[in-house]
Order: sequence, then structure tokens, then C-alpha cells
Amino acid sequence: MIEMDRVMVGAVVYDPKVVPIWEGIREYFADAPVGMDFVLFSNYEAQVDALLAGRIDIAWNTNLAYIRTSFATGGDCRVLAMRDTDVAFFTTLVGRRGELASAADLAGTRLALGSADSAQAAIMPVHYLTAEGLDLGADVELVRFDSDVGKHGDTGRSERDALAAVLDGRADAAAIGLASWDVFVRSGDVPPERLQPFWTSPPYSHCNFTTLPTMDTDRSDAWVSHLKAMSWDIPEHRRILELEGLREWVGPVLAGYRDVFAAVEEQGIAARW
Amino acid sequence: MVSARYDGGDLGLAEGLMFAIDVHLSDIAPGEILEVSSSNPGLEHELPAWCRGTGHRLVAVEPDGDRTLFHIERGARGSLMFADRPDLPLRAPDRAGGFATADWLTGLAGRVPERADPATGFAPRGATLEPGSPPFPYTELDRDRLWAQNVASLYDQATTQQWDAATDIEWDALPELPSHVERAVAQVMTHLAENEYAALYVPSKFIPRIHPHFTEVVMFLATQVVDEARHIEAFTKRALASGGELGLSAAITQRSLKSLLDQEDFSQASFLLSVLGEGAFLEYLSFIERYAPDPVTADVVRRARADESRHVAFGVEHARLFLASDPDRADVLRRAVEERAEFLSQTSGATPHVEEALVILAAGGTSPGALPDGIRAVRQLHETMHRRRVGRLRQLGFDERVANEISELHTANFM
Repeated sequence: MIEMDRVMVGAVVYDPKVVPIWEGIREYFADAPVGMDFVLFSNYEAQVDALLAGRIDIAWNTNLAYIRTSFATGGDCRVLAMRDTDVAFFTTLVGRRGELASAADLAGTRLALGSADSAQAAIMPVHYLTAEGLDLGADVELVRFDSDVGKHGDTGRSERDALAAVLDGRADAAAIGLASWDVFVRSGDVPPERLQPFWTSPPYSHCNFTTLPTMDTDRSDAWVSHLKAMSWDIPEHRRILELEGLREWVGPVLAGYRDVFAAVEEQGIAARW
Repeated sequence: MVSARYDGGDLGLAEGLMFAIDVHLSDIAPGEILEVSSSNPGLEHELPAWCRGTGHRLVAVEPDGDRTLFHIERGARGSLMFADRPDLPLRAPDRAGGFATADWLTGLAGRVPERADPATGFAPRGATLEPGSPPFPYTELDRDRLWAQNVASLYDQATTQQWDAATDIEWDALPELPSHVERAVAQVMTHLAENEYAALYVPSKFIPRIHPHFTEVVMFLATQVVDEARHIEAFTKRALASGGELGLSAAITQRSLKSLLDQEDFSQASFLLSVLGEGAFLEYLSFIERYAPDPVTADVVRRARADESRHVAFGVEHARLFLASDPDRADVLRRAVEERAEFLSQTSGATPHVEEALVILAAGGTSPGALPDGIRAVRQLHETMHRRRVGRLRQLGFDERVANEISELHTANFM
């Protein structure tokens, strides 16, 4: 067998746990047919630039970072794999308990949005609520929390800020990722007697491993098949899967990005932040 | 097909519903369906993410009047609070005097393994271990190298027989003694305290090496450590109580005690410390109680002796089990004694200032008429120690010749 060059993967540090996640994955690849290493970036713009410049082979991208890569490559970039949890991502609207019951009830209220570069907490709720006929900014006052811009909402800080605004009356509802809501609920971070979700968006896709069309397919295939062999039932693998928030790696589901592409175009999301 | 139903009232997930769902899912098999009925309007939004995050599947959502029915399929790899396990309930026997530690030796928690698995970490014996725990660095994993038949009841005795060296001793009753008698007491107390440091450090050293599934042993050794701490406190206080000072700590004593601390095998250490050392200590403490010049000294050593007898009982029973599982092990223990004797033979065996203090105590002072009696009493102490030691060794199955040999090789420092 011809020895393949090791694959260099980029990831953005949105939390200290990113280091053990990638150290763990690198260790897991130590005895793979193709080795790997990783580079950490402080923001997605720098990561996408590095991918386009060929300094990394694969980028662990948010949906927005993937779309930027797609625009920059004329749609030629390839998606290699996703988490099972990335395939159907949702945004939910959370209000004070008993006050709002549907998206239509938002008229005349204030809606808290997370970071402007977060698909789940800003871009997708604007897209779907507009499609439901709401004139955001006119019928609904938008209260934006642009914390941690550059990390595409990964830190969850802007979602916490939006919920805090609902709790203390600066806003009437908050748009956050349903997965974030689940994390807040399970960790006991939200006062359950005061908040309640009242709307869920259609599903859309979240993160993926993006590569350029120039990456050798033998190398990318070898890398993807070893990645997908990680198993929830093997404790060492499971530790990493739990940290990264998935039960298994799956192939790309590109249909889930259609709405995200549409949202980015409609809203004229800038090519850079 | 719904296998179980739960009425969730109007609870949201974070208000306790997620725990209830978890508990009810653990009652059914993977692939079976739990139907949750709820009037909480937020649930249809939050349940999909919760199911995905926990590895279960939300297979249907149906309106049911003003309520909603959620059908949740238990996932094969779903996270559950209660793992599947054989049902072996443990009931505390209804008996006066509480729930004895010895009585928990039933059910899963009572299964003392022959060899423990280091990967179970700090999981209590009988608990279900989630995969992925890190291995722990225990080195003492074998029942026959740790256990003693009576260890659970010795632990129970230890917890009920604790005493307080600050308040249970009548320190006020301490009379003023002639200064040389007081100095002899202080010297003996110094010697007792240094020995008790060894008796504290040796089990302490082994506790972190012992697998927690031999929990009764760990718990018993923990009581031994606390006993020794209290003895150090009481002996040191007695030495200082009359405004005196601590006595001499001899190099030979330190050498003897260090050779105990250097032991790396639990069974050998227990044999040297508890069977031979603390065994000899029982006679030593009886001797001091008998010749104590004051009631405080007598009380301190009497209380310490009651504690020491538990330590000896554990050591003897452990040695019995250790020897029973392999006849060659008698040689292992004997070699441990020989090696220690060889190490100690490089210095003279006696501890003269302790001998002197004991003679003065036994003589009640330095009157010429009483001193020969004092010397006889101390000689008799050594003879009694030897005789009892041989007796304990014979009980353990050593033949008379070997028992005598071992006893004679035992350190002149008593411990």
C-alpha cells in the first residue's frame, strides 16, 4: 500500500474542550491507513481562508463556513461527513411561560436574536419567520446579541444572553438552537417554571467536514471511512463522541443546506465578518 | 404497540419530566414504546432534541383531546438512570442494634470477589459500572491477600468503641508524681507514641493500594488509622500533662519502625505489624496499666489496649486466611521476619532507656529494696510476650520450633 500524506484538519476553538476532542481524534487516527493532525483557529473566517489557500486539507465547518467555502469555490467544494446531530438541526423560539403560543403571536413583541453570524440563533429564525409572513423589524422588534462574532454561535453565549433578556423583560421571546435549549434544560441552566418553547423551525443542516475538489479521493475516502468507524460502544471513542455531541458520523445530507443557502442570499450575509 | 404509559401532567422537561421519562424507559426493553401523555405545549418542541441527545427515538406525536401523546421508543444505546440488572434486593435484617456492616454481605453488594477488577475504580461493590471509566492504580486485588473472616464485625466494633482522648480521660485526676517516676512515664509514653506513628502510617500506606471492593478491609484499616491517631494524641498528652517533656526517641527504635514502613506486601506488613508487633503491644500495655503510678496513665493504656486487640484480631484472622490458601506461604511470612531481623541485627537489640523506665515504673521508684522486683517484672514481661507470641503463631498453624524461631527473631523494640 502506498503511504498517504497525513491529513491536516482545521477546527475552530469555541470552547476549551475542543483541544481534548481533537487530541482524541488524532490519537484514534494513529493506527489508521491515513494519519491526521489538526490546526486550531480562533474564528471561521481564518479557517476558511486556510482551507482555500491549501494550508489545511479539511475544515470542520459550520453551515455558514461551508456556504462561504462553496461560494468561493463556485460550488465545487466537497462535503465529506457530518455528525448524526447535524443532519436535522432546529431553531426554537422560547418565551415566558404561558405568554406566546405560536410564531404569529410575535407581532407587536420583541424577539431576541443571538450572534449575527449564528445560523441557529439569527440567520435561520429570520429566514423561517419571514417565510411565515412576519415583517421582522417592523411587526416584531429585533433585539440582537452579537456576542462572540466570528465563532458562528458555537459558544452558545449569545443564546444565553437572549434567554436572559426574555427572563428580565428586555425581550419577549428568544430564538435559539433546539440543541442548545436541550443542553440548558439538562444542565439545569434555565428556570423551567418561567420559560417555555412555543415554536420549532423546519429542519436544516449544521456542521460538516468540507474539503476542496483538489483533495485526492483515496486520501479523503480513507480518512472518512476511518472516521465513520468510531463507535459509541467503544468507551475511548464514546468519550470523544460525547464531547463533540454525536452518536455516529454519517455521510453528507446536502438537502439540509438548501434553506441555509437561501437565507444567506436573502439576508445579504457578508462574505466576511 | 405501547409497552408502558406515563402521565406527565403539565410538566416541562426540565421540571422533572426528563427524569420520569428516563425511569419509565428503564422499565421497558430497547425497541419498546413508552407513551407519555402531557398538556405542556412546549414539550412537542423540546422532546425531539432530548430524545436525540439521549439516544431514544420519538416515533409519534398524536393529539388526545386537550393533551398530546408522545410515543418514545427506547434506544438500544439510550442513556438510562437505571441500568438493566438482575434484581437482587438487599433488605436490612430487622434486628436490635441497627444495620450491622456484616449484614450487607448479601445481594450484589455482598459479593466479595476473589480477584477485583482495577477498572471499577471507586464504584461501590454491587454498583453497575458505565463503560469508559479510567483504570485505577490499585495493586492489592486478591481476596486471600486482604480479607479476614471477621473484618466486618471488627469494623462495627471499632465504630461503636471510639473514645475521646480530650474528654473521656480524667486529666484532672493526675497527681504530682516524684520527678524520676514522672520522667519514666514520659519516656514510656514517648516510646508508645513513636510506635503508634508506625501503626498509623503502615495501614495508611496500603489503603490507597487496596481495591475498594474489599471495602470492609479499607473501612477497618481506616478505623485503625483513627485509633492510632487517638493513641498518639493520648500518649503525647500524658507525657506532657504534668508539665514534663517528651523523652528520647532511640535510633534502634526508629530503625525497627522504618523496617515496618518499608514493607511492600500487605500480608507480610500485617503479619509483622499486627500479629507480632501489636500482639506484643497488648502485653506491653497491660504491663504499664498494672504498674501505672497514677489512674490517668492506667486509663490511657487500658483504652489503647482495647483498640489494639481489634487490630491484632484482624491481623491474626487475615494471616489465617492468607496461610490457608497456600501452604508455601508460611515460608513467605517467616522469610519476612528473617529479613527484618537481618536488617535489625546490624545494631544492638536493646532499647536501654525504655527498659530503664519500665524497671522504675515496676519498682515504683528507685528505692533499693524495690529495684530487683522491677527488673524481675520487666524480664517477666519479655517472657510473657514471647509465650503469647508463640501461642498466636501456633494458632496460625506454625509448628512449635518455627513459632519459637519467629518469636525470637522478632524485634526487641516490641513493634
